[in-house]
Amino acid sequence: MHIPDNFLSTPVWVALDAISIPAAGLMVRRAGREMEDTRVPLMGVMGAFVFAAQMINFPVGAGTSGHLVGGALLACTLGPVAASVVMTAILAIQALVFQDGGVLALGANVLNMAVVGVLAGYLPYHLWGRGRGRRAAIFAGGALSVLASAVLALAELLISGVRMPGPALSVSLGLFVISALLEGAITMTVVSALEGIQPGFVRQPSTGRSFAMTALGIAAVLLAAGGVVFASTSPDGIEQLAIQAGIHKPLAGYGGGAGLAGIALLYVVCLAAGRVTRKRST
Amino acid sequence: MRHTAVEEWSRGASPLHRLNPVAKLFPLAVFLVALATAHRELPPLGIGLGLLLVTGILAARLPVLGVMLRGGVVLPFSGVFALVSWLAGDPVRAIELVLKSYLSALAVLLVVATTPVPALLHSLERLGVPAFLLTVAQFLYRYLFVISGEAYDMRTAAAARGGLTFRAASGALAVLFARSYSRAGQVHRAMLARGFTGRFVPMSPPRLTAVDLLFATLAAVAVIVLRVAVERLA
Repeated sequence: MHIPDNFLSTPVWVALDAISIPAAGLMVRRAGREMEDTRVPLMGVMGAFVFAAQMINFPVGAGTSGHLVGGALLACTLGPVAASVVMTAILAIQALVFQDGGVLALGANVLNMAVVGVLAGYLPYHLWGRGRGRRAAIFAGGALSVLASAVLALAELLISGVRMPGPALSVSLGLFVISALLEGAITMTVVSALEGIQPGFVRQPSTGRSFAMTALGIAAVLLAAGGVVFASTSPDGIEQLAIQAGIHKPLAGYGGGAGLAGIALLYVVCLAAGRVTRKRST
Repeated sequence: MRHTAVEEWSRGASPLHRLNPVAKLFPLAVFLVALATAHRELPPLGIGLGLLLVTGILAARLPVLGVMLRGGVVLPFSGVFALVSWLAGDPVRAIELVLKSYLSALAVLLVVATTPVPALLHSLERLGVPAFLLTVAQFLYRYLFVISGEAYDMRTAAAARGGLTFRAASGALAVLFARSYSRAGQVHRAMLARGFTGRFVPMSPPRLTAVDLLFATLAAVAVIVLRVAVERLA
């Protein structure tokens, strides 16, 4: 679910851009340090693979079909950091070239799918990917990745004041669960098929050491789970919260100047942060 | 699907095509923000901004109808949300969603339809986007049509055999994965053999000329003046 421009209110997209630009930057720098040069073409071509994979339809009965989303599959094969970078590149190309998802909303989409989606998709594999529950972990990863992204996107839309009456909300949550289970099943069967072709395609989960990864993944899952509970129990609660926080109703007070100034500030901060970290690392 | 229409359009030779990509990205950012933060007098503002975009499409010598239809790819998504908003008793918001998401998509499309994607990505590097990410995106776009073509062939073959079962579809996807993986290796070795240093170097790094600066300023000012004028006069 790619959020187009103008679905999110100005404070929401500015805030999400402010969160996800440094987050994606961190992933990119980590990937740049960890990867050998040979991995860069691989990451690009696998990004093209995820794009193309949408053409292969998985029949799910009653004439309907689904397709791979890919976050968890990439995380299990390329590793979570590389997967996150690939998903970011995919989302950027989709937003710019195919108008699939907005440009101002790119931060939101990157956070939902390339950061939270990938980390949530990798977490079960990281925790239980070695033992007997391996297949279940891969299934859970696929499902969790889609669920986390979709719920986050829904929460962002609701906070922005997009109207969602109770029935529509239940229907969309139901659809999320179905597509999450489908993604889990696709990821699991594709991973088994891949191991049949060449076991080396699927990475073994790294042992222990990356504590930060686990913490981030758990945070992502909690965020998504909290979002589900919150959205399903009190859809009006979110709107109430937004009004109290002054986000949603007094929109008329927000001029274009404030938005532009916000963007300019964000840009300068990111550029400065980039310069500083680059200098320190060289 | 060897090439999309956008890819064809971006190879034109109009004055708009010849501008430095940065000179198009700046007014685009102004346009998107000005539209996203506008909440009053939307219909006249929308018409004004729409006319501005149509002027751009004409100046770029692109098919107006074709570009405007292509921009409609956002409409199914926004249409559903607009319908829900309408039914929830908020018709103003419904119109706002459709109008604004369509105009934003059209504005982005106008820039992409006048700028080849590799040049666009290069200019983003000059604006501070990490080179590593953009190199991945460059590879992604280069092989997008190759791998998609392969997936399309597989789908056609499967349809000719009477369709795929769930298990067969995972097998097909795994094969596509393996082929892409080995293609990436071949591509990289071939590029190394031709002196690839790990990043793409443009043939001639484009500089911002006086024309670029003039266009960027005029286009951005036009958007801002339009919005201020519509809100003042109303």
